Amino acid sequence: MNYKYIIVGGGIAGTTAAEAIRTADKTGSLAIISDEQYRLYSRIMLSKPNFFLEKIPFENVWLKKEEWYSANNVAFMPGKKAVALDTSVRTITLDDGNVLTYEKLLLAPGGAARKFPGPGGDKGGIFVIRSLDDAKGIIAKTKTAKKAIVIGGGFVSFEMCEMLRMAGVDVTLLLREKIFWEILLDETSGQIIEDALIKGGVKILREAEVAEFLGDASITGAKLKDGTLLECDMAIVGIGIVMNLDWIKSAGIETNRGIIANEYLETSAKDVWVAGDTAEFNDLILGERVQLGNWVNAQMQGRTAGNAMTGKHEAFRLVSFYTTQGFETAIAFAGDVRVDKERVVITRGSHELKSYSRLITWNGRIIGATLINRTQDLAPISKLIEKGVIITGKEEQIKNPAFNLSELLK
Amino acid sequence: MSDETKKIAKVTVDRNLCIGAASCVMAEGDVFELDAENKAVLKLKGGAKNSGPAERSALEGGADDKILLAAQSCPTKAIFLHAEDGTQVYP
Repeated sequence: MNYKYIIVGGGIAGTTAAEAIRTADKTGSLAIISDEQYRLYSRIMLSKPNFFLEKIPFENVWLKKEEWYSANNVAFMPGKKAVALDTSVRTITLDDGNVLTYEKLLLAPGGAARKFPGPGGDKGGIFVIRSLDDAKGIIAKTKTAKKAIVIGGGFVSFEMCEMLRMAGVDVTLLLREKIFWEILLDETSGQIIEDALIKGGVKILREAEVAEFLGDASITGAKLKDGTLLECDMAIVGIGIVMNLDWIKSAGIETNRGIIANEYLETSAKDVWVAGDTAEFNDLILGERVQLGNWVNAQMQGRTAGNAMTGKHEAFRLVSFYTTQGFETAIAFAGDVRVDKERVVITRGSHELKSYSRLITWNGRIIGATLINRTQDLAPISKLIEKGVIITGKEEQIKNPAFNLSELLK
Repeated sequence: MSDETKKIAKVTVDRNLCIGAASCVMAEGDVFELDAENKAVLKLKGGAKNSGPAERSALEGGADDKILLAAQSCPTKAIFLHAEDGTQVYP
């Protein structure tokens, strides 16, 4: 089959791209290839406790009606995987052997949850959370689970701990690091989050790693690397995302951790764009190449790429952020939160106040921030990042947690 | 039946549905921000902020296409847009 537009990935990036294409080109043939069985759903909702506990109706997970695809003349191919790409003859090969040709191609395949790599990792009762099927499995298991372990210090594990506690399950959180989210946060942030987890009834084991899961078909426990035995009938693993880009690499498209793109989201191959979690793109606002795994980044990149595929050449510009809340604690990340020796961190608030921001600055500008219980700072911070406001000389003011950051925009 | 081509006359955030994902703040920061409870609020003329319902004309600023984008970006569909004739624009 020949298509004018082919989109690999049926998530928010790919589907938004299709929508953008259809605003400019109502008739050009368009196919979406998705390795999942489902139409577009809200991946964000999947990790929210109220969804798991069925306080939000399951139906709310769908972001497109079933009829949307046919009404918009979109050939939707669920349950299919792209396995090969040849950019010289513009073909995509699917896992069922079908070969499709494209004029314009968007790669928006997203990532997959990293699974527990050790022995016993294939037993029942062990979950990751990335897809709707993962969520369905967790919803079913949570109804009968008594003791769960959650692995990893990050957004996913934080949200899963809260969900399990709300469901009345006994929870032990295992951190490989010394403190929650050591890689991206600092000690004060980690302490505020750990206090909230502990107050919520979560037991935390630090510098702890599972050596193997025990049990027959389903897990009955976990053996840690230091020999400790933990009884559990459920485990949720939140240890990051993997990108399967081999077939894209094999096509000669430039990749690193993600698929390399310029600020127009164009890859190294002609008429091939990238959007979403796999895009490692040139960020004009931050002035560096970044790869971001968040919902709105994926949505807005889908829009930029879809527009580009119909001839609207526009650079991608967005200060992206991600937030979560649980255990009466709100956590938010904005922009680029990585810290290196060239970057200076300004902090606001303290452990005692349970309110603490870190502003990451580079060459006198704010390029990112992490906020614990300070989400009201998000809007001004994103504007400060976007506008590249020079904050040199204002550090002392910023350090005062009562100072309104909006003042810096004036 | 919603009609996304209609002009927006009223904006409402359902605080029970809002999970503070902040996607609306990212999509249209001139209209939406998060309050201390981590829920989305609308920035109104005169400096007041609440979750609405608010007339489009009472909002401090913002562009209609970006308000629609903000509603579409909401992962829990917590932002409701209505047209002048009362019909739902989104979701």
